[in-house]
Amino acid sequence: MNNKSRLIGFTCAYTPLAIIKAAGYIPYRVLPVGEAPDLAGSLLHDNLCPHVKRVLDRAFAKDFPDLAGMVFVNSCDSMRRLADAWQIVRPDEQVIRLDLPATVDDDSVFFFAKEIETFANTLSDMNGQPLGQEQIRSAIVLYDELSATMKRLKAVTNSGANIGGRSAIQKFYNRASTEPVEHLIEELKQIIEEPKSTKLDGEYVPVFLFGNVLPDPEAFSFFESCGALIVEDDLCTGSRLFNSTEMDLDWAKDIFIQLARNILSQPPCARTFDPKNPDKMVQDLLYKAKRCKAKGVIGYTLKFCDPYLARLPAVREAFRKAGVPLLLLEGDCTLRSIGQHQTRIEAFIEMMG
Amino acid sequence: MMKKYFEELVSGIETKLQEDPENKSPRKAFALEIAKIGTRLYSDTNQKCWCGIATPFDLLSAMGVTSCFVEFVGGMLASTETAGNFIETAEHAGFPSDACGYHRAVMGAAFDGIMPAPDFLIGTTCPCSGGLAVVENLSRHFKKDLFVLNIPQQASEEGVRYLTNQIRQMVKFISDHTGEPLDENRLRDTIKLTNQTRQLMNEMYRLAQQVPSPANGHLMGNLGIVLPLVFGTKAGVEICQIFKDTFASHVKEKISGVPDEKLRILWIQNRIQFKNPIVEMMEKEYGASIVSDELNTVTWDPIDPEDPYPGMARRAISFPLNGPINVRIKHLQKLAQEYNIDGAVNPCNWGCRQGTGARGMIANGLKEVGVPVLNLEVDCVDSRNFSEGQLRTRVEAFIEMLS
Repeated sequence: MNNKSRLIGFTCAYTPLAIIKAAGYIPYRVLPVGEAPDLAGSLLHDNLCPHVKRVLDRAFAKDFPDLAGMVFVNSCDSMRRLADAWQIVRPDEQVIRLDLPATVDDDSVFFFAKEIETFANTLSDMNGQPLGQEQIRSAIVLYDELSATMKRLKAVTNSGANIGGRSAIQKFYNRASTEPVEHLIEELKQIIEEPKSTKLDGEYVPVFLFGNVLPDPEAFSFFESCGALIVEDDLCTGSRLFNSTEMDLDWAKDIFIQLARNILSQPPCARTFDPKNPDKMVQDLLYKAKRCKAKGVIGYTLKFCDPYLARLPAVREAFRKAGVPLLLLEGDCTLRSIGQHQTRIEAFIEMMG
Repeated sequence: MMKKYFEELVSGIETKLQEDPENKSPRKAFALEIAKIGTRLYSDTNQKCWCGIATPFDLLSAMGVTSCFVEFVGGMLASTETAGNFIETAEHAGFPSDACGYHRAVMGAAFDGIMPAPDFLIGTTCPCSGGLAVVENLSRHFKKDLFVLNIPQQASEEGVRYLTNQIRQMVKFISDHTGEPLDENRLRDTIKLTNQTRQLMNEMYRLAQQVPSPANGHLMGNLGIVLPLVFGTKAGVEICQIFKDTFASHVKEKISGVPDEKLRILWIQNRIQFKNPIVEMMEKEYGASIVSDELNTVTWDPIDPEDPYPGMARRAISFPLNGPINVRIKHLQKLAQEYNIDGAVNPCNWGCRQGTGARGMIANGLKEVGVPVLNLEVDCVDSRNFSEGQLRTRVEAFIEMLS
């Protein structure tokens, strides 16, 4: 076990980052980026999602820093298999599994709270330091501040200020997933407060982007080159990770239950749903698209992603009925795969322009 | 179409049994009861529930509800060579060919009006994300209420408590929909039957482990995955009793399931559900007997009839496809040793992330106990791209290597 590293790896937007921070570690998202050789197929079937395979390729290639441990959320079948494979590829890193319910009710919150508590205790044991409620609360406040700051940055961008386009925001998301966030928050605040004199050149159609994994900042530049300005997103490598509803912490109540409820109440990815209202995901997407005044919506999902594959037909139908233009793209996290859709994206934007 | 199919299946088997009552083979008894479940699902008089695989079917049975996991329909359509049309319907509706064939067939059947409308649905997070999603989609399609059982990945104290509470809530959900409260006495009797079935399953599987084995690929196919549908019923006990008695008699008389058994094969997870020559070719041409399927197993303890929900929770969590892969690998290694397995076949069902996804780790795990694995690339339900010659060549090469 490598005890020198201060990094705890993660891959899922449901990861309770505040716990990692509170335990004295830095959350480090292993993003599916880079050019690691394709080796995942030696352990996993090729029909697993490219997110999982590319993250495992990176693990094989050792192209990220040593980790003290790696936490996997039981978000989908592919992620479970990644956790299994990780133990083989990086046996010196402690693998921690968080069992995340697919539906949200009081029992689920209680169960997930226990999962988070066990996670906290595991990190505390690894670190050899006790982990108190005060540290956890401070970390929660810090991540709330990060979420709020990211929202303000997006608001500034959407008001017309040029901070480098939407790709700049994605760079900040990626940094916030892999670096200590204290300095980043200060940096973001400075950017927000600096006077902006320039606006993005050209005419853009405001678009709402939803889906799962799209960490490459160049992908957003590419959308802009097609005439689409992504004014809001619902991606697990974007706003979903830093979009926690601000926690009104009750100091008299169990912190783990509050955190569990908060995480389970965040904007869900397709794997979490409300059995009493199976259309909730669709309704949420329509609501967000209207709220950000998007003229159209692009859905970008990964090939072989079962939670989205199964739900996209309902999404398509609901958008058709609502009269909201929708373009669905499938890819493999890479800019290359999005580039193949250039003609379709341009035609979609022209149609709305 | 399906209603007629099940009715004809029931009457056909019953006629044969009336003509020759002494010849009640295990597979016939099994097929008869499954066909009866099919007729109930397609009748207008029963309360019906479409479910996920890890649902406690005996509990639903005790509450007078005919229940079935949706993948059963996919398998049934494939076995009757009709799945292709429904899969096309699903694909036209936007369900891509990368998704599981079972689930595409089920959705297509629902869109084409072949799936009977349930009174309500129960989804389970185990074994797969796709399975839960299809139940959710059926709930939307039929506009019927859905209850979800979150199956924890491990049988920790918290996990068992969580699932136990959910099962209690599920009982309320069912009562609210049937208008009938749970009859505690009936549940107690049901659980006693479940435990009897469990005991007989253990005995029949132990007999199947004998060398030569009284089992074969035909007898054991889809058994472990479908038997839970008859848990808690007298029919379930009877089926397992016939299996056990037949196996015991064959062991005593040294009658092997495959004449001149030469090789013993473990089949991993899915059978190829449409008609294909692979199993027959293995057994007839090479004496390679499929003596066990991965899910032909008992992984849970007897359930306490006085307090059944924790036992049901543990049973669901213990499902071999649940939890980390090392649990599944240990289970497969145990089967390999108990059954004296020479080789294993893993038909990697296209679109199955949870099962097929780990094929490399499974192959490595079985290699550790000296069992080579043949990974086949196949969609177990969608026969449209089935390449018989290619599969035959690969299986032949594998068998020859084992020989």
